[in-house]
Amino acid sequence: MPNSLRAKCIIVGDSCSGKSAITQVFHSDGSHFPKNYAMTTGVELVTKPVHVQDTHDAVELFIYDSAGKELFSDMVQNHWANPSMVVVVYDVTNETSFNSCAKWLERVRSQKPSVTMPSVLIANKIDLDERRVVSMKEGQDFADSNGLEYFECSAKEMQNVEQPFLYLAKTFHKLYQDRIEYFMSMT
Amino acid sequence: MFDVALSAAGAQISFATSCDENFPPEHIIDGKDDTFWSSTGLFPQEFVVTFASLMNINTIKIECSNVRKLLIERSVQNEPDDFEPVEQKDMENSDGQWQSEEISVSNMTAVHLKFTVMAAYDHFVAVHRLHVDGNAVHG
Ligand SMILES: Nc1nc2c(ncn2[C@@H]2O[C@H](COP(=O)(O)OP(=O)(O)O)[C@@H](O)[C@H]2O)c(=O)[nH]1
Ligand SMILES: [Mg+2]
Repeated sequence: MPNSLRAKCIIVGDSCSGKSAITQVFHSDGSHFPKNYAMTTGVELVTKPVHVQDTHDAVELFIYDSAGKELFSDMVQNHWANPSMVVVVYDVTNETSFNSCAKWLERVRSQKPSVTMPSVLIANKIDLDERRVVSMKEGQDFADSNGLEYFECSAKEMQNVEQPFLYLAKTFHKLYQDRIEYFMSMT
Repeated sequence: MFDVALSAAGAQISFATSCDENFPPEHIIDGKDDTFWSSTGLFPQEFVVTFASLMNINTIKIECSNVRKLLIERSVQNEPDDFEPVEQKDMENSDGQWQSEEISVSNMTAVHLKFTVMAAYDHFVAVHRLHVDGNAVHG
């Protein structure tokens, strides 16, 4: 019997950066890109098991997609208790969404300041190449200086959407292994 | 008085929110200090210990790691429901080291005790051992 871990994954970023699109594409294994734009109100939860490479184990992700609007933020923050991992998304055609990443990251991390949380930065909408204003280097630099793993993707083209989640699952699984070893060493 | 929360004394785990087959909840009541139950992510985490029969209880002692907020409830029903609160504890951060909490409850009865880890100092908690001093209510 494979073991199944469970993790609460908080996905944040400015409104319209593509959080819901990424969540839906990942959840549907690349079969569904939401066509009609509907602003997420409050919080939506989707769950998906992710197999951890080279093991018999899986991590079941509970992904909390939240609205980016400040308006909703009190309600949203109630759903942020005990996060396991965080996904910060920005739109490469929108400088403001990139500049907001620090603020979003800070908000999630302040929920659990003493615990290392597997974290990724996703530069989304790379299909809009001609309108791109945030370079790969800027994204990578921000990720490096904030302890994030950097990924680029296009939810619309369903390109590279799975990778950040596979990375998160693998990292979380590693944390579990380390913790188990530590618990065992205490006895 | 003896430890009624041992599988050897007829106690069972009737519910747990995590079950890694290598670190199952039964390790809480196996009487050994070198085995443990590990949670596998998300909070709250719960387990329910069911005694062999209705017990009179004097003390509850739990040995764990990384627990921050612990809620203990009891039930006197045959089935594990209608729980009522016994105690809520905020535990100190011990950086993963062994935490020990002893709670005195004078002459409380219970068939089931439910332990809920509401919050933790890490992604994962361990419960190494549970001791419940009591004896069967005869009547
Ligand atoms: N071109 C392009 N558009 C995208 C991509 N991802 C999302 N969008 C569009 O961006 C808008 C906002 O997406 P949404 O997922 O609702 O953003 P959210 O507010 O962060 O959840 C929608 O019109 C999407 O169709 C992408 O990778 N490429
Ligand atoms: Mg949305």
